[in-house]
Amino acid sequence: MEREVIKVNNMNMTELKNACDDAVKKLLSQPDLFIENHTHTDVKLALGWASVLIAGATALYGWKVEFEQSKPLVWTGVILYVILTSLSTLYSFFVEKNTVFVGKRKMLAKRIETERIIISSQTDFPSSAPAKGAAHEPPKYSVTLQYVRSSNSGKSLLAKSTVNSVKGYNEFFDEAGTMDQERFEKWLAGLVEKVVEGEE
Amino acid sequence: MDSIKAFKRLGVRYMLLQALNFAAVIASGLMIWKGLGLVCNTESPIVVVLSGSMEPAFYRGDLLFLTNPASEQYVTGDITVYKVPGADIPIVHRVIETHDVVSEGYVAASPLGQKQLLLTKGDNNNANDIELYQGLDWLEKRHIVGKVRGFMPYIGYVTIAMNDFPQLKYALLGGLGLLALVQRE
Repeated sequence: MEREVIKVNNMNMTELKNACDDAVKKLLSQPDLFIENHTHTDVKLALGWASVLIAGATALYGWKVEFEQSKPLVWTGVILYVILTSLSTLYSFFVEKNTVFVGKRKMLAKRIETERIIISSQTDFPSSAPAKGAAHEPPKYSVTLQYVRSSNSGKSLLAKSTVNSVKGYNEFFDEAGTMDQERFEKWLAGLVEKVVEGEE
Repeated sequence: MDSIKAFKRLGVRYMLLQALNFAAVIASGLMIWKGLGLVCNTESPIVVVLSGSMEPAFYRGDLLFLTNPASEQYVTGDITVYKVPGADIPIVHRVIETHDVVSEGYVAASPLGQKQLLLTKGDNNNANDIELYQGLDWLEKRHIVGKVRGFMPYIGYVTIAMNDFPQLKYALLGGLGLLALVQRE
């Protein structure tokens, strides 16, 4: 398969994690795998753009209308803005957490079975400085896959499993920052297979 | 051109998210400004000194922090920022005379219900401000943007520079915008 070279700055943990997260999404949302569910993104987009529009409207109103007269509506706008941005922050913090990919697919095997997968990731940093002479421990990409298979529109649970795996970023990126996509995908595909088959 | 390729790969949602990152920065700035204005009860909680008429207290480029509490009358010696109808820039000058108007229905216990007439003058000017009042004889409370509560010297020069050289402003805004579009959190 022809693919784009993915190159990142090795020193930047955010870039490394983003590249891995993007690769997760790309692999899992292939047509024969899962259909991505964009709810998390859509909720944040809706809250975010609503707050931006309110801020814009409030500022415009405050600019057009004389200060004393504009106060009640400007208060309303500012309070609404604070509420919406807080909701968005709380959503990211408590609901979305580290989620990278949410997807599902339906299968027709005697009955309709729905499979859902949630993938979350984070960067694990080495806990402490390496002991003298010991090898330097690299920061790691930690990925968790949660899988649920159900039928009867979610009422009967058929299978449920979770798989977690941690690998150093150095296994997927060379010293120039080029990503070994095949290796990453092979690792991830192995994990997906494992979680779907329900091995712990 | 990596970001353009990324846009194509990641689709509309990604573009909306990146645009949101940028818009959210501007929105939060606007709302902080408006919120600060409401809390301080002034339409402009921070102003930059543009003239030398208050030297040696304030110099051109000083940043002033204003409040305008509804429960206070002004007293002689207060440094106020005022804007009279017809003048487009606010002026920072000191109150040198106040007159509490005693009208019919005056309640001694609530002086705030009464009109207060003010006269101002720049510390560094020879004459008072009547010339600047655009035909008014006195300033009234409604013309006052706020009372100076604190200042930071010279910081405001950035805005003066941006006003004098608009290119600088556009370069700065453009740079920030580009950064917000290209970067991911």
